[in-house]
Amino acid sequence: MAQGLDMHGVSHYYNEGSSRTTALDRVSISVEPGEFIAVIGPSGSGKSTFLSVAGALLQASEGEVKLNGTSISSVSAKELSRIRLHDIGFIMQSSNLVPYLNVEEQLHIIKKMAGKVTKQDKAYAAQLLDELGLGEKHKAYPDELSGGEKQRVAIARALMNDPQVILADEPTASLDTKRAHEVVSLIAKEVRSRRKAAVMVTHDERMLTYCDRVYRMADGQLTLDQMQPAQELVSR
Amino acid sequence: MYLAWREIKRNRMKFSLIAVIFILIAWLVFILSGLGNGLQTLAAASFKNMKADYVVLEQGSNASVSKSLLSADGIDIVSKMPNVRGASPVGTTMGTVLKGDASDPAAGKVDVAMIGIEAGSFLEPAVIEGSGLSSDRADGAIVNKSMKDEGFKLGDTLRLDGSNETLTIVGFVENETYNHVASVFLPIDKWRTITFAAPGSDKGIRNPVNALILQGSKIDPDAVNAALQGTDTVTLAAAIMGMPGYKEESGSITMMLAFLLVISAFMLGVFFYVFTLQKSNQFGVLKAIGARNGFLGKAVVSQVMVLSIFSILVGVALTYAVASFLSKAMPFILDTKLVIIYSIILLVIALLSSLASVRSITRIDPLKALGRVE
Repeated sequence: MAQGLDMHGVSHYYNEGSSRTTALDRVSISVEPGEFIAVIGPSGSGKSTFLSVAGALLQASEGEVKLNGTSISSVSAKELSRIRLHDIGFIMQSSNLVPYLNVEEQLHIIKKMAGKVTKQDKAYAAQLLDELGLGEKHKAYPDELSGGEKQRVAIARALMNDPQVILADEPTASLDTKRAHEVVSLIAKEVRSRRKAAVMVTHDERMLTYCDRVYRMADGQLTLDQMQPAQELVSR
Repeated sequence: MYLAWREIKRNRMKFSLIAVIFILIAWLVFILSGLGNGLQTLAAASFKNMKADYVVLEQGSNASVSKSLLSADGIDIVSKMPNVRGASPVGTTMGTVLKGDASDPAAGKVDVAMIGIEAGSFLEPAVIEGSGLSSDRADGAIVNKSMKDEGFKLGDTLRLDGSNETLTIVGFVENETYNHVASVFLPIDKWRTITFAAPGSDKGIRNPVNALILQGSKIDPDAVNAALQGTDTVTLAAAIMGMPGYKEESGSITMMLAFLLVISAFMLGVFFYVFTLQKSNQFGVLKAIGARNGFLGKAVVSQVMVLSIFSILVGVALTYAVASFLSKAMPFILDTKLVIIYSIILLVIALLSSLASVRSITRIDPLKALGRVE
């Protein structure tokens, strides 16, 4: 496949003194554009390592990770940060917005890091924010936003660079049920309408209905858990 | 700049506090440099003002004009030497002038530095009031305008303490001080009469003076020493350094400034470093979404730059404000050139001290942004 995220036989080891911990054990997964998959599992199962490897934050010890058909298994740190900037959208736990930038600027900074913020970029940012229901909040600062709003800004930020792959790390960790549903349904909607390959790591079983497939992570091994009927998703 | 400026705008309080500290440091640096400059001027302005390059002194005088005594006859020889554009003798004597007139013994005294020069030579400073020295007026003297504050005016007689000699003020000059007191320029012959009043004090030298001052940039000091027996030729700067107490005085000020600059480098460095540590999670997030080290480094450095330039400018403004309030008796002289030099030094120090922060950025692991490294 040429698009999306493709991991094949990926293992990752941590050296702790003389012993070696296997955080990822021959993980293979393929996420195509427009697909929204979930990875669940207890803490310590290797979910974060999985996300870090998929998100070009960490180089796998073994195996191959392909983003849009290009292998990122053996590129330099500088190249990794370029890939993160252009090809990956991160939605982090507790949103992690920059406290002194207003909502618009949170999105502009992505373009700024790549060079310049053009007029089109600003228009695109405004459109994204409106789409995510933040029309009134363009000039608001993070401390003036609710948890759900912050997370929506984080979604917009992840989409700003028009990446092929969206990675969400516990996006509902700090939200109540209603907000959590809002946020995840928004992610699902954007992922499908914009044809992104999306992976969400979560503890929250309530959110699994939004996903096409659910994988379970245990002791570094990733296994398919259940298949969601596709029609049900479309109606949502 | 994008991040730097927005952060400052959103966190005015935090950055104002740092700016206040930086401003105080800059202020102290400028005040100290002004004081140092003022003291140096007080000590040696009359020699620093001389449009001269070399000073011929007696051998063994350790480059000190006051320790030197030689004959002015050497002028004829040295002025014919290559590269010498001008040569003129000078003599300096510390003296005391009585205030008021003879009927009022309680009027007090003023210390002065009597500098004997040839009337009309290149050593004579331009007067701002009255007229210059002239060979027909043997007792005429031009004095620093600070003598006005002591109650002297044009045409007044200067009665010398412990001498029967008197001088008449024919003109005033400005910024002429020597050995921390006002300079009084007088014809060299009169100076000899006053200085060598005691028999034998001239050591039998014909036409004795303290030094011969030379103009000419490429003079060979060794050639001058060879042509004039028993002389030691040094640069004007060396002769100024050789003045009693001059080196020590400027040394203490320089020492204070050096310590202040070193301490401020550490202080600012620590502040910027703590700032960066506080933000390490935020920088981790930015790195996770693709920020390069260079982008974040630039943000930190440009922030330090904005803060420094602002603080230094305020410091300069405060210094000039203080200067306008200081009393005239305070030896405080702000030299624009020095202010610019110290501004640049402070800016460089601030930027260097932020390098530790930049280095710590490169070590921040973007994995931190995930908040739970397994």
